[in-house]
Amino acid sequence: MSQILKNKILDDFILWNNVKNGNEKSFSLLFEKYYKDLISYGNSLCPYAEKVQDCIQDVFADIWLYRDSLQDNVIVKAYLLSSVRKRIARLHERDHVFRKTTTTDVLEFLFDFSIENDLVEDEVTAERVLLLNKLLNDLPGRQKEALYLRYHQGLSVDQIADLLDVNYQSASNLLHRGLLSLRKEWKGSIPLLVLISSGFF
Amino acid sequence: MQKRNNYTEIEDFLADESFQLWILSKVDEQGWEEWTLENLQRAKLVEDARLVLLAMRAPKSQLSSNEVHEALQETWRKIEQREKLSQNTSKIKKLKIQRYWISGVAAAVLVGMFSVWFFKNNIATTDNVVTYNELILDNDEGLVEQTNNSEKSQIVTLSDGSSVLLQPNSKLSYPKIFTGNERKVYLSGEGFFEISKNPKKPFFVYANEIVTRVVGTSFRIKAYPDQQNVEVLVRTGKVKVKSNDLVRSAENEEIVLLPNQALRFARKELVFNKITNITQDPILVSSVRNIEQLSFEFTDIPVAQILQTIEQAYLVDIDFPHDKLKDCRLTTSLSDQPLAEKLKIICKSIGNDTNYEMNGNQIVITTSGCN
Repeated sequence: MSQILKNKILDDFILWNNVKNGNEKSFSLLFEKYYKDLISYGNSLCPYAEKVQDCIQDVFADIWLYRDSLQDNVIVKAYLLSSVRKRIARLHERDHVFRKTTTTDVLEFLFDFSIENDLVEDEVTAERVLLLNKLLNDLPGRQKEALYLRYHQGLSVDQIADLLDVNYQSASNLLHRGLLSLRKEWKGSIPLLVLISSGFF
Repeated sequence: MQKRNNYTEIEDFLADESFQLWILSKVDEQGWEEWTLENLQRAKLVEDARLVLLAMRAPKSQLSSNEVHEALQETWRKIEQREKLSQNTSKIKKLKIQRYWISGVAAAVLVGMFSVWFFKNNIATTDNVVTYNELILDNDEGLVEQTNNSEKSQIVTLSDGSSVLLQPNSKLSYPKIFTGNERKVYLSGEGFFEISKNPKKPFFVYANEIVTRVVGTSFRIKAYPDQQNVEVLVRTGKVKVKSNDLVRSAENEEIVLLPNQALRFARKELVFNKITNITQDPILVSSVRNIEQLSFEFTDIPVAQILQTIEQAYLVDIDFPHDKLKDCRLTTSLSDQPLAEKLKIICKSIGNDTNYEMNGNQIVITTSGCN
């Protein structure tokens, strides 16, 4: 594993342990580090921005209030994403209590992948990325969410399985099917461009 | 590292953290650029992977750091509210439990109350007496107070996990959350303290004219406003006692107490009396509480029995699934641990999915059984 990534995870471990020991500063740092990311994930699961903020703040409040019973070796990011998802699912369930949709699976993942201008410098790349954005956004919600968690948030397949409450194989299938159909559509639409594309480097 | 030579699918690259780092942060620690250019076929694959990875982004959040900061403040407010709320509900619950307990426990409670002590008012002493109220006024940390007006002891859990078993007619003031490098609490009456270990943040108990300093240990302090002596009795660990700077003490020394040693401070004379053999002291012997007598060393003991011991020691109610734990036994040493720590250790030993929740004197353990 790369040194930078290692340091990131190490930082999280240190912050987490400090929080467990009642360090307010570390709690604030952790909050500031992940709040934006969690908001964008939360907003893709629930269209009510205020409720999402509430949920995320509650997740952090829980961490502080129950810090004595927090586990030790936690991948903080995965833990936070999963806690936010659970809270929103609970909210969703409560709001729908009079209808017959009860499982947490009904959460629909509405995230829209889009181009991040800082990363894309030339127009040819931009065009292709936009096309891929569209193909990704048209994938079924579960596949899209799995891909988002894997490659946008960088979770492991294990962590995704845990978060989506499915077994390892199902999570792995979601990812595989997502990429497969992406590739099919993609190759179908721009067979020629791909051939010339090596000129980029 | 050379595993990348075997990559044949986009997924292989997408999952490679160092590849992600290169594309997304432009940090090329492992010579990706050079490696890519070695081979045309490879370059094509890398380019596809690059595009897919880039397509899985989104513009950075529009939230300003100010907004994040406000959200953080809001979260702290929520935390405070919920702490208040749980204190209120635990009081209500306590009242209910008390009714149930009164009949059974009344006899056992407070046999050893000291009625022998009497006041000798003279002018010299009034100057020296430090009251609980004075001590609290001195503190600006935003203290909360727990008063035990009931007839049985109450458990108070502090934000650092330490627990205090507060005896009847006693009160304890403590900050909601310990900040800074010291943990300070204020006692009037009697309490048995079990302090969670934290060498970086020493724990101070202010009680009448004396200050007791500990790092992590268990001990009892008895400092009623209307009694002539203050007593400190140590069960585990080590504590240091000195007189409060507010009184002009003749000897401003620090007394060190080891396990099963005690100290009696004469409030009028401002004199410390160390008692090295507590079994020889009739007053101390007569006032030993449940929690000090019970052993927390367990060898292959059924979990149910361990939990019962805790119920007796802390006068709490523990609710747990009897059938699921009926074949579970534990060997563990829980002396010298605050209540929260004891419960945590027990839950951990039973199994990963075992958790506890504590609300005032009411504890609920959820589990699916032991491993």
